[in-house]
Amino acid sequence: MAIIEAQRSPLALEAGAVEVKPLGVFARPTGAQTGWKSWLTSVDHKRIGIMYGIGSMFFFFIGGGEALLIRLQLARPNQKLLSAELYNQVFTMHGVTMVFLVVMPMAAAFANYLLPLQIGARDVAFPRLNAFSFWCWLFGALFFNSSWFLGGGADGGWFNYAPNNGVLFSRSHGIDFYAIGLLITGIASLVSAVNLIVTVLNLRAPGLTWFKLPVFTWMTLVTQFLLLFALPVITVALFLLMFDRLFGSNFFNAANGGDPMLWQHLFWIFGHPEVYIMILPSFGIVSEIIPVFSRKPLFGYPFMVVSGIAIGFMGWGVWAHHMFASGIGPMSVMAFSLSTMFIAVPTGVKILNWLATMYGGKLKFSTPMLFSIGLVSMFTIGGLSGVTHAFAPADTQQTDTYYIVAHFHYVLFGGALLGLFGGFYFWWPKIFGYFLNERWGKAHFWVTLIGFNLTFGPMHILGLQGMSRRYFTYSPDQGFDFWNMVATIGAFTIAVGLLMFMTNIWRSYRSFKKEPYEVPADPWDARSLEWMIPSPVPEYNFAEIPEIHELDDFWHRKYGHDEQGRLVRIAKTEDIVQKPGATGIHLPSPSYWPLVLSAGLPFIGYGLIFDYWWAVPGGLITLAGFIGWILEPSTDPEDHHGDHGDHHADHDAIEAGDAQPALVGAVVDDGDAAELPADDAPSQEASGD
Amino acid sequence: MTDRLAKNPRLLRWIGFGTLVAMTLFVAGCGALRDDKGRPLTTLNPKGVQSTRINDLVTPVFIVAGIVFVLVEGGVLFMAFRFRRRKNDVDGVDEPVQVHGIPRLEWAWTIAPAILLGVMAIFNVRTLWQLEERDSNAITVEVYGQQWWWEYRYDTNNDGKPDIITANQMVIPAGRQINLVIRSNDVIHSFWIPALNGKKDAVPGRTNNWSLQAAKPGLYQGTCTEFCGLSHAYMRMEVKALTAADYDTWLTEQQKPAEFPTDATPKDPSDDSLELTGYKTFQAQCAQCHQINGLSYDKTLSDGKPDANYGREIDPATGYPKMPLTSGNAPNLTHLMSRNKFAGNLLDLYTEDGNSGDRQVNTSNLGNWLRNPKGLKPMAPDENRGMPTLNLTDDQIHSLVAFLETLK
Repeated sequence: MAIIEAQRSPLALEAGAVEVKPLGVFARPTGAQTGWKSWLTSVDHKRIGIMYGIGSMFFFFIGGGEALLIRLQLARPNQKLLSAELYNQVFTMHGVTMVFLVVMPMAAAFANYLLPLQIGARDVAFPRLNAFSFWCWLFGALFFNSSWFLGGGADGGWFNYAPNNGVLFSRSHGIDFYAIGLLITGIASLVSAVNLIVTVLNLRAPGLTWFKLPVFTWMTLVTQFLLLFALPVITVALFLLMFDRLFGSNFFNAANGGDPMLWQHLFWIFGHPEVYIMILPSFGIVSEIIPVFSRKPLFGYPFMVVSGIAIGFMGWGVWAHHMFASGIGPMSVMAFSLSTMFIAVPTGVKILNWLATMYGGKLKFSTPMLFSIGLVSMFTIGGLSGVTHAFAPADTQQTDTYYIVAHFHYVLFGGALLGLFGGFYFWWPKIFGYFLNERWGKAHFWVTLIGFNLTFGPMHILGLQGMSRRYFTYSPDQGFDFWNMVATIGAFTIAVGLLMFMTNIWRSYRSFKKEPYEVPADPWDARSLEWMIPSPVPEYNFAEIPEIHELDDFWHRKYGHDEQGRLVRIAKTEDIVQKPGATGIHLPSPSYWPLVLSAGLPFIGYGLIFDYWWAVPGGLITLAGFIGWILEPSTDPEDHHGDHGDHHADHDAIEAGDAQPALVGAVVDDGDAAELPADDAPSQEASGD
Repeated sequence: MTDRLAKNPRLLRWIGFGTLVAMTLFVAGCGALRDDKGRPLTTLNPKGVQSTRINDLVTPVFIVAGIVFVLVEGGVLFMAFRFRRRKNDVDGVDEPVQVHGIPRLEWAWTIAPAILLGVMAIFNVRTLWQLEERDSNAITVEVYGQQWWWEYRYDTNNDGKPDIITANQMVIPAGRQINLVIRSNDVIHSFWIPALNGKKDAVPGRTNNWSLQAAKPGLYQGTCTEFCGLSHAYMRMEVKALTAADYDTWLTEQQKPAEFPTDATPKDPSDDSLELTGYKTFQAQCAQCHQINGLSYDKTLSDGKPDANYGREIDPATGYPKMPLTSGNAPNLTHLMSRNKFAGNLLDLYTEDGNSGDRQVNTSNLGNWLRNPKGLKPMAPDENRGMPTLNLTDDQIHSLVAFLETLK
């Protein structure tokens, strides 16, 4: 296996004699690995993943704080902590924040960090675009939340039904921030979807065929396809909304021939796949964790993959189940009711296959496993309540009540978030090079699980007893007092759990700093490729790109079976994992321009809302970003292309062990294609010196 | 596992006993949840034809879901307990058999739930279409949602014009189907009387049909369930089901115009009765938006029929009121005192003496409402949505309340 550097920039001549500096004024930032500046310009998928993680945790605190305000207001009847006006903003911002600024980017954090590692790649297909996605998301998120300081947040609910979202009924700029903020974060998600899809399509390690991909990679891939098709729909809806609000068009105005139902259809055609966008990555995470801590392969890998794809497909045919009470007609209601019932089938398959994975295993209840089992048991509740409102007549009693609130929190918190927390504990040593404390982790799990059930369990009862959603208060004679108080106590218990997680991170880091220890490459005796490389992951990921022969290839390098199918170790882990300290591996150079390009977008947003003049600097910054992006040289100034003497030794050393020229992985220099597919590599081999 | 159980009958007894206790608690819990005392909005205690059908459909679904729940969660606990790694297990020696999957089993648990759901789907579809059935002798009531109250219109003589326009409380005869024709005047609302039927949205520009049928006379609470802005939580309504005879009486009463206090010799305003002063204040301050049958929009006496477009701006092109309606639109007060509540069915019109059961008009609620409506119910009158604060003097409020009390 050879790692071949491509020595010339794309503009350089074959002979290599003439060095071309395309408009060198835009020199790329140096490839320094430390300091805050290196984070701003990084195009490393791992750093971008970490930044997504930090960003989503930050907004988790904001969205969680909003949740606590909601629960405080509803703790007792007729409370006046929040006015109706403020309450409507708080629950809207809570929903939008948790969906777009917490669960989605947290899943993106894992996707960014892990996906290239799981397929044996050095980076994603378009590293600069990847950085752009992150910054675009961050600026969109900050822009959206800046509405708190500029006249108030959006107040139409995350679903933001027309015509209540029109200027006539919501005069503050909150909903303008909603529309434009989500357009900006939408760009981020769309770019990222394309990027990750291309990455999986093209950058898989040699031999890593489709049905050898780890399930997390599969689920992430399905998620990216869902994003790819769902985001254009919400983009259209948001543009129509923006036109209605800012330019007086009438898409949703029934008086002038528009139709408020148009918004509902567009929103839910996006909104329902969005649910699977949030949950599938966690399904992937759990499918990685449960086999490791059961010491058994995932039961029925093909069923798990195909059921994930089936959920992705069927997710497009169920959107109108959000609209059973809207008056879409009994025929449509019947069709969507039936399709919704049957989407339970592939989801049920997943639950049973996870259980079957545990069956007969040797279960080790480390924190990641606890969270995974938590997902299996809590998501089941959300899935079952989901089946009850797939029955459209029943849904007319349940929709827009707290029964629905309970349902989707069991799916999104009990499903998506528990899975993501499990992922944090599982991959933390791989990412940061120290373990999270197990005792604190287990306490975090149990406190979260208890708090979660205290908060959302009673909401089933509240909903069935007639408490509707989005009420800023209720009366004592409605009989909602007791369970609301329980739910509020539960919400604060969850908050304690979250604080324990933060404490755990801080304490574990401090004790690691006090007494440093080395985290082995494969601390959990795991199965997928990311455990084959050192912890924390070196900048270049893989010193050598491994060749894949079967599903869970890394595991099978360690273990074989005896005649009864029992595990037999065939090699020591230390002998298989890659050693740190490889040099001479060329990586995409950092760049200023993703940051610059995305920094202009919020100003354009402010311009649309307040005064068009703001759009001028915004447009100029964005334009500068485009130009800089195009004109910057392909590598950073410290990347000496003419001189490869010092690299050569390592180069040979690596190459010496490799007798398969077909597996040569090459790194191309244009900064946006970290690696070409293996088949293209030989033609790129230009080790002229 | 089974050996251990067989050898230990006491354990078996405890398990049996525990299961029995758990099931008793569960059934008792379900019974308690169904109780509608102090829970006027519960969906678990249906009192109407449609709500009973829905309940009959969903109860078996809840039971099946409950069984699946117990099986899966039991499975999780069983796996976690039975297959836990034990202290003396040695890595590399005590290792599980590597099962990669049993396709036949997986097909089974793919197909079995699909069949189960397929069977349940039959009942789902049947109930769905049953709920669309309409009786030929059904009564039609037009329902209009607007921020933040409900209006009902009855056309008793089928001439296409409403003969009764009322608000908040819908009166129906028990035992007869009511066809609801649901529309909205501004944003989307949702009409929901949980004890009688599921909900149906009121969507601007559209007409949705829905039905109700109360099995017995009674009062059934409802609430708007589609988020509609500031006072969504306070957009309530109730259905009062009467016997057929009482309903006919109600129809007759409601079609009578209001009787206005008169003054034969209007020389000195200070001679006016309190009610008459209130009436004059009403004409001056309230009649712009609130209709009282018998008083026309130009504040002169009229024939006593309700005006469907009272106070609304008519679009010359279509001849219909302009959409969305954000002002000039307020509850018809002709027979205000025949209702139980006002302000979107939020505030009591009457106080009831706990001992004697006497009903007194709740003048303090009415007075406070007239003084500062926004203080009792969040609204945006400066955006023409909701009742404005009219800065009435105490005397004006006093006389207005006296006048309103005459609107029996």
